Amino acid sequence: MTQEKILVIGGGIAGLQAAAALRDEGFEPLIIEKESSTGGHVSRWDRLFPTQKQAREVIEELTAATAGIESVTDREIVSLTPEADRVTATTTTGERFTGRAAVVATGFDLFDARLKEEYGYGLYENVITSAELEAMFRAGRVTMKNGDTPKRVAILHCVGSRDEKVGQNHCSKVCCITGIKQAIELTEAIPGVQVMNFYMDLRAFGNGYEELYRRSQIENGVTYIRGRISEAGETHEKRIQLKVEDTLVGRPLRLTVDLLVLLVGMRAPQCCGSFGLPTQANGFFAPRDPYTGNVQSTVPGIYLAGTATGPKTIGETVNEAVAVARRIRMDLGK
Amino acid sequence: MDFGFTINAPRAIYLDKIDPTLRDRIIARERTTLLCIGCGSCTATCTAGQFTPFSLRKVQHLIRRGEYAAAKEAVQNCMMCGKCRMTCPRGVNTRAVVHTLLQEL
Amino acid sequence: MSAGSPWFFDPFVIPFSIGVVWLFSAIIYKWTRWFVALPADDKALVRHNFFSARSLKALKEAVLECLIHRKIWKTNPLLGFMHMSLALGWFLLIVVGKLETSTYIRDAVNPPHVHVFFRYFFPEEPASYARHFNYALLMDCLLIFVLCGVALAWGKRAYSRMMGMKRTTHHTPFDRIALSTLWLIFPLRYLAESVTCGVHNSGSFFTGGTGDLLTSALPGGVLSAMEYPAWWAYSIVLGLFFVALPYSRYMHIFTEVPLIFLRAYKVKSRPEGSSFDNFQIQACSRCGICLDPCPLAADLNINNIQPAYFLRDRRYGHLTEQVTDTCLLCGRCAAACPVGIDHATLRLSSRVAFARQGSLYNTPRYEFLATTDDRSSGTGRVGFFAGCMTQMTPGILRSMEKIFAAAGVDVWWADRNGGVCCGRPMRLSGNLPAAERMERYNTDLFRKHGITTLVTGCPICYKSFTQEYKELQAMGIRVLHHTQYIAELIAGGRLKTSVLQASYAYHDPCELRGVYSEPRYVLSHVATLTNAEPHEKDRVHCCGGSLANLTLDTSAQTRVGETVVRNLLATGAETIVTSCPQCKKSLQRSAGNDRVRVVDLAEVVAEAV
Repeated sequence: MTQEKILVIGGGIAGLQAAAALRDEGFEPLIIEKESSTGGHVSRWDRLFPTQKQAREVIEELTAATAGIESVTDREIVSLTPEADRVTATTTTGERFTGRAAVVATGFDLFDARLKEEYGYGLYENVITSAELEAMFRAGRVTMKNGDTPKRVAILHCVGSRDEKVGQNHCSKVCCITGIKQAIELTEAIPGVQVMNFYMDLRAFGNGYEELYRRSQIENGVTYIRGRISEAGETHEKRIQLKVEDTLVGRPLRLTVDLLVLLVGMRAPQCCGSFGLPTQANGFFAPRDPYTGNVQSTVPGIYLAGTATGPKTIGETVNEAVAVARRIRMDLGK
Repeated sequence: MDFGFTINAPRAIYLDKIDPTLRDRIIARERTTLLCIGCGSCTATCTAGQFTPFSLRKVQHLIRRGEYAAAKEAVQNCMMCGKCRMTCPRGVNTRAVVHTLLQEL
Repeated sequence: MSAGSPWFFDPFVIPFSIGVVWLFSAIIYKWTRWFVALPADDKALVRHNFFSARSLKALKEAVLECLIHRKIWKTNPLLGFMHMSLALGWFLLIVVGKLETSTYIRDAVNPPHVHVFFRYFFPEEPASYARHFNYALLMDCLLIFVLCGVALAWGKRAYSRMMGMKRTTHHTPFDRIALSTLWLIFPLRYLAESVTCGVHNSGSFFTGGTGDLLTSALPGGVLSAMEYPAWWAYSIVLGLFFVALPYSRYMHIFTEVPLIFLRAYKVKSRPEGSSFDNFQIQACSRCGICLDPCPLAADLNINNIQPAYFLRDRRYGHLTEQVTDTCLLCGRCAAACPVGIDHATLRLSSRVAFARQGSLYNTPRYEFLATTDDRSSGTGRVGFFAGCMTQMTPGILRSMEKIFAAAGVDVWWADRNGGVCCGRPMRLSGNLPAAERMERYNTDLFRKHGITTLVTGCPICYKSFTQEYKELQAMGIRVLHHTQYIAELIAGGRLKTSVLQASYAYHDPCELRGVYSEPRYVLSHVATLTNAEPHEKDRVHCCGGSLANLTLDTSAQTRVGETVVRNLLATGAETIVTSCPQCKKSLQRSAGNDRVRVVDLAEVVAEAV
């Protein structure tokens, strides 16, 4: 078995799992991470849907699996150059890495909620993103900016997802269930809090999701209001006024909340435009074939795993990371 | 004349019986009306909606169901300011829909 | 073949004469009909201004524009020369030709065909007349001048880019007849005159010289056999051109003159339409200068809605709503138009005409406004009208709050808690009565609160208040866009700002035409402005989000805006700044990501306060 070097671009859960699986397949993986540590978005999350497992446990498991695998951090790849039997990756500073093949596990960016100016993110201090709420959960305390405990929280679904006005027509897939999970956790963290989820469609499609949805209603008393918030304003007390239509009642709804949580979607990161690989309409990398070629790009030697090809759950991401190692082994032979 | 009873309008919308001509003409003129998923953003943001029960979401669905009279009554409240167009996540050309309705209804 | 009768008649002049009679009958008929149908107050304007300096100014403009084509020269010198050589050259051929004949036949009847076919009736000249003035030489020079124009027109057909035009107009069948005959008129005149000069060994250097050449090149007898048919052909194409002219684009030749005079008398097109529109519509020559600046042509390859086509369709009565409604009204075309046609108002009156066909046009609207509660707040004499769109861009509203507070201005907030639309978006859809109802509501609101200054952050509202609201001026209310107001605060020393270490490229909103110096003054006061000439002010490209457009979908709008973003970022700026909530939203969408920030001028200033 030859020790061929495979570049793994991205050290999130897809990159970590891919690296571990590649080593099992007899390759020599090299993880290239743009941030100062691996773990990606999941390492910043508190608990995970649908079972509320600690995100930390997932990261620990994958870190253990990748022990001893070479990784470099603080290196952001800006271009990939495929040649006959190797792929070269170049960083922002011009540093080059060469391998027999490359796995693009570059993941996603969180949608920048400032682009939805009407929700006042960045303007009103009590408008936060779902990622910031997770950080509060991790810190063990959910508060308003002034330190007070919120009594009424609104969670707005589809911020930067299914919204053509910000060029994001796609569904980010994980936000609905994240909103349900976060609503439950809010009621757990703050006794007596009133949590309202505002949605266009609630897509609880995965294993255990519908069950979690039911639980949030019957056990946690979370309210679901079918209507997409159009605008938010700030009161003198820094509370957030919302304008929304309750489409099931058919009347406009005006209400004030202490905290507005924006469930920010997944958007294609900048590298999707710079790697020279074909992309899909949603901006993410295009797999060679969405049926039997999900982990291959159209370019020989360049492979794809995880949310680099579009929104996915953690389970789906990890599965793809295992599959990509196997696919590379099948393509390159023993 | 009082016969001692009245005839109520039917409760149901009989989709088998509606006249689709006008609906189809409206859709042909402004196809993006088909994109509406009824999220209510337009109604929530609506300038005219502050003062009246006008809901473009509802109007669009009334048209789809052949309820032209109710749609005609409602659409007169629209001020065409365009906020709904700015907020619509689905890309319905809302002002064009209203513009079409004002002429076709 | 000298003149036998004082009428200088020959059968071949019949086609020409029929054409001339037809042409002038048609023109007199049209002018009379259009003028009679003018609204009474427009007629009063004409009566009032007719004997004034305005007529002289109009005369000067008519010479400069109709003959010399000054504005086209500014667009492209070669194009200007082409138009001038055809128009001025032909005009001079007629004038000098008339003088030439009148020196010969002072006492006899001198119908128009005599000077047109002068060489035929006076084939031996000018030998016997050289002592007076060498008309033949002058007429030859003028013929060369016109033929240059014809040659350039042919060249333009083959390669329009030579004259700076990427697109040229698609013509109607009548235009094609008129165009073909027009292109043949002067070559045939040249031929006929040259043949006659050859046969009679007369003429000046050009026609005479060509005649000599033909004589030597052709076998004996051929030339004299050619002579009569050549004059027939010349007469026929002239006649055909004149017959086709009233139906074709060339009607502009005779319509632009009264248009210039009526315009000088302050007659204007109206949103509800008037007979004056006829003068504007038929003054369009479909020269095609409006095609290239149009963002819809450049970015979306929509090539049937530009003024040349819109006015054509309207003129011939096959205007569709699709064509009428597909326009950003950004004004680029009108700024380029050499005839100065008021395209925006014409487009609007067409929309009104379509809207009138709807059953709801005159239905009283917004009855609820009579009982609506007043949601405004504050007590200041300075009113701030944010506009509907600004509610979607709270950053602008916040910044204005900060700026007003910093300058110590007591503000009356017209619509911070929701208000009634200014009405312009409705107006742009052609529904005038509905728009006027909103205008009445807002005017009453302003009156009730006794404001003296009205500031708005929205150029759409600004345009509405300054150009459409009829009573604000009489009420003594000064209307300012926030860029103008902030400029006054800074210039007056009421607003102290620091200088930001950032560079901005400014996008001029279409609805803020003419307000160019204030935003530039403010921005260069607080930051570095990187604007570059070819894409700003009157030549700015629309953001794509214009409310005047009623048909484009979002992806089309986004593509229009992408051009703007590209142009602005090419100036090296880090941030795009504009002064319109609609532009801000559109450009942010076109920028496609969060790495390029698009902000409002008020936000930049608020940062520096």
